[in-house]
Amino acid sequence: MEYLNIYANCQLVKGANMSLLCDLQMRRFYHLPNDTAEVLLFLQQYSIDECIAHYGEDNREAIAGYVDFFVSRELGFIDDRILPELTAMELTWDRFADITNVVIEYQETIDYTGSFFRELLDQHLEGLEIRFYQPVALPELRELLALFSDSTLRHIKLVLPYEKSLNIAALDELVKKHQRVKSLLVHSSPEEKLEKIFSNSVPVYYFTGKINSCMACGEIRAHHFTVNTELFTESLRFNSCLNRKLSIDQQGYIKNCPSMRENYGHVADTSLQAVLDNKTFNRYNHIRKDDIAVCKDCEFRHVCTDCRAYIENPQDIYSKPLKCGYNPYTNNWEEWAQHPMKQAAIEWYGMAEIIK
Amino acid sequence: MSKKILILSQSYLESTTDQVCQWMDYLKIPYLRLNGEDFFRFQQLSDLPDNTETAVVWYRRKIAHFPAEFSLKQPDFNSQYTMKRFLVDEFNGLHSFLFHSIDAQKWLNDPLSEKNLNKLQVLQLARRLNILTPFTEVVTTKTKIMALLEQYPALIVKPLSECILLEDTERRAYKMLTSTIDQKSLGAVPETFFPSLVQERIVKKFEIRTFYLDGVCYSMAIFSQNNRKTTDDFRNYDNHRPNRTVPYKLPADLEHKLDQLMKILRFRTGSIDLMVDMQGNYHFLEINPEGQFGMVSHPCNYYLEKKFARLLHQSVLHEKEIHQQPENKENAAPATVFSEAE
Ligand code: SF4
Ligand code: SF4
Repeated sequence: MEYLNIYANCQLVKGANMSLLCDLQMRRFYHLPNDTAEVLLFLQQYSIDECIAHYGEDNREAIAGYVDFFVSRELGFIDDRILPELTAMELTWDRFADITNVVIEYQETIDYTGSFFRELLDQHLEGLEIRFYQPVALPELRELLALFSDSTLRHIKLVLPYEKSLNIAALDELVKKHQRVKSLLVHSSPEEKLEKIFSNSVPVYYFTGKINSCMACGEIRAHHFTVNTELFTESLRFNSCLNRKLSIDQQGYIKNCPSMRENYGHVADTSLQAVLDNKTFNRYNHIRKDDIAVCKDCEFRHVCTDCRAYIENPQDIYSKPLKCGYNPYTNNWEEWAQHPMKQAAIEWYGMAEIIK
Repeated sequence: MSKKILILSQSYLESTTDQVCQWMDYLKIPYLRLNGEDFFRFQQLSDLPDNTETAVVWYRRKIAHFPAEFSLKQPDFNSQYTMKRFLVDEFNGLHSFLFHSIDAQKWLNDPLSEKNLNKLQVLQLARRLNILTPFTEVVTTKTKIMALLEQYPALIVKPLSECILLEDTERRAYKMLTSTIDQKSLGAVPETFFPSLVQERIVKKFEIRTFYLDGVCYSMAIFSQNNRKTTDDFRNYDNHRPNRTVPYKLPADLEHKLDQLMKILRFRTGSIDLMVDMQGNYHFLEINPEGQFGMVSHPCNYYLEKKFARLLHQSVLHEKEIHQQPENKENAAPATVFSEAE
């Protein structure tokens, strides 16, 4: 008897009509109809022959096709039994910091060396995103990046407006000096393109759109989907955007994210511990995709990041991200900004100007 | 000064130590990380960590590169190499003093057992515990190899010590790997040669890397057979088709025997290599007490770095219980000149 053993780091996520097979190790996903997913679930308990007997001879070819697909993509292998020793993967998520991700909306008048920032850098931060809405000069940028040189922060993402002086050579030199910078997004650029600097290791995305306020954030697009164990496991228990995230807006106010209205004090006179102890600050952490309307039926829910700042129904914190055009019931992508159901929310957020 | 967790490591290229330390910071477990590089800042022997101040020691690494340069009046390849070896010995002469000055039972792994670990002895111990091992022999002649090939379709040759890296004049690195001898490749074998370790070649279904942590086995299966390039040794990474690595649970009786083996060697942590043949039998290959556990922890989502931090913490608490010495209330920074943590 032949059995298909599916590797534990290939996780199946069922949606309303379609399922997503997430290969967490190879960081790829496969979009499958739910019928196929059913067969795969059956094959996790029964032999291939038993599966054919169950679904009928008519389906022999289709089932054999699925098995071939799995074996050829190295998602599983055939053996004379299901190996019970190949145990399920523990889908826990944990990190050694109360804050893992920080977003800073840069403003030259803010002092980024104060005690709040020192406390923040004592956290073992994972990622920092620095957004520049206004052009910035190279020396200023260097000075800012130097503040992070002695920290355990792992990576920095820079969002910058297009500037002639910040050419590829200048950026290359910058990231060589500040190796925590792992990616750059250049907005308001004359053309859309992707360049790679620092021996091809750091991508620079040129983007023609303008990012001149926090309202540009929160877009859900298929090419943003990320397949890996970190996001998958975090999204099973926590919010996949705001969990352990902290932001400092242009005025120096501490927020969950720059787009949120509520703040938890100003960097000049607030301690990080006070923010961490504030229950309201943590209120988004536990809003999982499985709790959110529509997303809970979407097969992309554990490879997609969330947005709680811009939602379809601003009165209902469990409603779907506003800037997502995917419909898991029809499996179609539509332009969210044009969608009639979204116009009220677009108006509520005062976003109409920005998205036209 | 209260008793400490002492971590011996190196200052860079050490993500495993870094992550364990970050977990300890987060869990508010105090520790002292001493990198090999710090030895270059000591002023006197008494700056070394002291036995009475130390509750538990995790010895992870010594040093990557000496932060010191030397030059010879007449540099040539041989004396450069000799000089390098000499400095390594000098450094070890100092570093391994700790193996003696700090009580053996405080080390997670008995330092002398770790230092003197011998592949043949480990295989012999494993066999005594009824753990299946591949047929192993040390041979010096082609005749003997031919005789063995009558019994086993193929043999592998691997070092009795550790694989090394060789560098050519252009600084390209060549890594020593395991290679196969069968009837076809026999022609290349000289009549007599340096004593070499050969093993029967096991046709494997997959390999297993187990990280042993204080009595518990965290195992990972490594599927590499689809990958011709890596059939002998999965360390020869193929970036395009990486090996599949997934969590695995060894049979309880094998875990029990491995636990006995580790206890005999006085290791509380280490990684163990096994191979599963086409019939599903487990063959024990070797133990690496230094254990780079990130490569098991991350793919299997085991959070071993956190578990490791907890183990160190428990050991320190345990140590305090045994030695209920009156404690000096000084909470100040250590008197030594090197950095505490990072
Ligand atoms: S909640 Fe929305 S707007 Fe805020 S950071 Fe996340 S995606 Fe962006
Ligand atoms: S419906 Fe929800 S989970 Fe699905 S793509 Fe949109 S935002 Fe992501």
